[in-house]
Amino acid sequence: MRNQFLIILFSVLIILLLISCGSQKERKSNQLLFWSSNNTQEIDFARYIVNEWNKHSKSGKVSFQPVPEGQSSEEIILAAVVGKTTPDVYSNMWQGDVEDYARAGVLVAFDTLKGFNDFIFSRCDSSVIREVTSPDGHIYQIPWKINPIMLLYNKQIVAGLGFKEPPANYEQFNFASEKYKNENIDSHGYVKKWFGYSEVLVTWWQRFFDFYPLYLAASNGAPLVKDYKAAFDNKYAVEVFSFLRNLYQHNYFAKERLSARQDVFLSSIIATRFTGSWEILHAEKFKPEGFEYSFAHMPVPNDHQGPVYTYGDPKNIVIFKTCSNPQLAWDFIHFMIDKKNDLKLSQLTNQLPRRKGLINDSLFAEYFENNPKMIEFARQSEYVRGTDPYPNLTEVFDIISQEYEECVIYGKKAPEDAIHEAAKQVNLLYIK
Amino acid sequence: MKTKKFIPYFLVAPYIFHFLLFVAFPVIFSIVLTFHQWNIISPMKYIGLANYTRLFQDKFFSQSLVNTLIFLIIHIPLQIIIALLLAETLNQKIKFRGFFRAAFFLPVIVSGVVVTILWQQLYGFDTGLFNKILTAIGLGRIGWLVDPSWAMPSIAIMATWKNVGLYIILFLVGLQTVPVHYYEAADLEGATHWQKFFKITLPMINPTIFMVVVLSTIGGFSLFIEPYVMTGGGPLNSTLSAVLYIYKQGFFYYHMGYSATLGLFFALLILSVVAIQKKFIEKDK
Repeated sequence: MRNQFLIILFSVLIILLLISCGSQKERKSNQLLFWSSNNTQEIDFARYIVNEWNKHSKSGKVSFQPVPEGQSSEEIILAAVVGKTTPDVYSNMWQGDVEDYARAGVLVAFDTLKGFNDFIFSRCDSSVIREVTSPDGHIYQIPWKINPIMLLYNKQIVAGLGFKEPPANYEQFNFASEKYKNENIDSHGYVKKWFGYSEVLVTWWQRFFDFYPLYLAASNGAPLVKDYKAAFDNKYAVEVFSFLRNLYQHNYFAKERLSARQDVFLSSIIATRFTGSWEILHAEKFKPEGFEYSFAHMPVPNDHQGPVYTYGDPKNIVIFKTCSNPQLAWDFIHFMIDKKNDLKLSQLTNQLPRRKGLINDSLFAEYFENNPKMIEFARQSEYVRGTDPYPNLTEVFDIISQEYEECVIYGKKAPEDAIHEAAKQVNLLYIK
Repeated sequence: MKTKKFIPYFLVAPYIFHFLLFVAFPVIFSIVLTFHQWNIISPMKYIGLANYTRLFQDKFFSQSLVNTLIFLIIHIPLQIIIALLLAETLNQKIKFRGFFRAAFFLPVIVSGVVVTILWQQLYGFDTGLFNKILTAIGLGRIGWLVDPSWAMPSIAIMATWKNVGLYIILFLVGLQTVPVHYYEAADLEGATHWQKFFKITLPMINPTIFMVVVLSTIGGFSLFIEPYVMTGGGPLNSTLSAVLYIYKQGFFYYHMGYSATLGLFFALLILSVVAIQKKFIEKDK
């Protein structure tokens, strides 16, 4: 009797275990699941949007949750794709990943949905639409928000060096760096403060904050990859590598990782940094009394002409094919990124929507009046680029990063050779 | 009676289930993967032996193996010498012996990530404690983590500090098994402290030394957290360990097939090294 009881108990346990490994419950076609980014401000925004939608929509309801915690949201999305547990709508997709997902057939093409084409042309200019159009001619992502990478600078330090304006080109930047270094050498002959800092890690995405925005600035927004070939084996990339290499060789930038200690910018250990508008919230909260800072465009070559582009760090919205009602998902997204809600996004998160004519839009006037530091970002938003619509971008950035370390940080390779080698390796990536 | 026959099978069923799901299946699956190209989201593509061909031409993988070897060459002798000396000291009747034993063991139970972040600060070129001391005594600063020739030795020193406590305990156990009358006899013969150490202690704890070598070899081969947190494999890939490279191939670039190939090759390499060490132990016995 006791043995029979044990057998039954084990059988029940194993059955329960197997049942618990089963697939997720299917959602009804009038219910959507929306995953937002998991930072506090964006959760507030997502909550607001979902409440507003559910209050007014008769066609279907939306529930939301922040993207689950993980090492990176990209990793979580990948796991969800593999496990077929993707949400219907996801709003924090890195543009560089979209092409890989589109090729894997897990994304819905927006241009097949009613009302999308008219909308996208009213929101974005043609260069942005080109940027998000896949080589197969479809659009699998909606450009939603950007955080342009700009030069953050300490106003007092820059003024103290005799500059009325922040250094705008390589020559001015080098001159300011040299002057600042000379003022900050300790009794042992070591530099104790640097003019700037950029992460020296070879991690591929670190190049979003140094090489890539500088390359876009120098080249008027030229692509890295075009027609499945490296498009950066040119004088602009070489100039950027030379400029950065000079900063490290002369000790204007620290080779050491400074990120694990107190904020080096707010404690005036560095005078500048290449970063986005997210610094504002942080700086306003932690800056010492009297500390003044501002933003300017990325430094450009001395003979640069035309507008100064930068990397926009765009995050886009996608609909996964696990969605049973893509038209409803699109209607929800349409609501979420209308002009009024774009303003709400800026108000709640201090990020800008990727929308043309932002700076002159009367609806945003009050926001910019209340957030004057965002004006520079709004001006810059007219001249931002995301990433090129090609697969394997992680590896492209990794290849560049490897050459970057060898040439820029350690000066082991000439800039021309490093860029040429990187381009050669990228071309190999795309050989079918 | 019939039911009774099945009882043992039911009792081991959870373990068998766990073994099949989490050990046997992953091993078989990763062997299958080595013949495929797979980025997780697209279907697997059979590519024959291409991953193996790539492995033997991959300069980063060979560099990662050399880096791991450098780490082992520094780490293992350093660890054994320090652990043995400290164990020998802690085996004497010194004051606060219990406190020191606990203190040396403490780093072993602290999280690896915490330790690496702490040492990153100590190794700082401009503000790190070690360089402050060097400049205070009139010496030049060392690029502990930014100089490619120093980065791996620096990691090896830190790993030794972190793990030495465990090996002190193992050596202490070994030392306490040495019969006291051997030392008494040596004392009667007028042997010095070092003579006793080399002629009695070392031969008697030989099995412990070999065990420590095997354990630190396996531990050294799996070097990951330290370079991952401190240097990301840099500078100039000088701290790119084999495991870190396998991880990067798998989870940075999603080259699952290639990553599995590297993993399999590396597992066989560790197996061979441990087999050689085992042979030495048996020969010694």
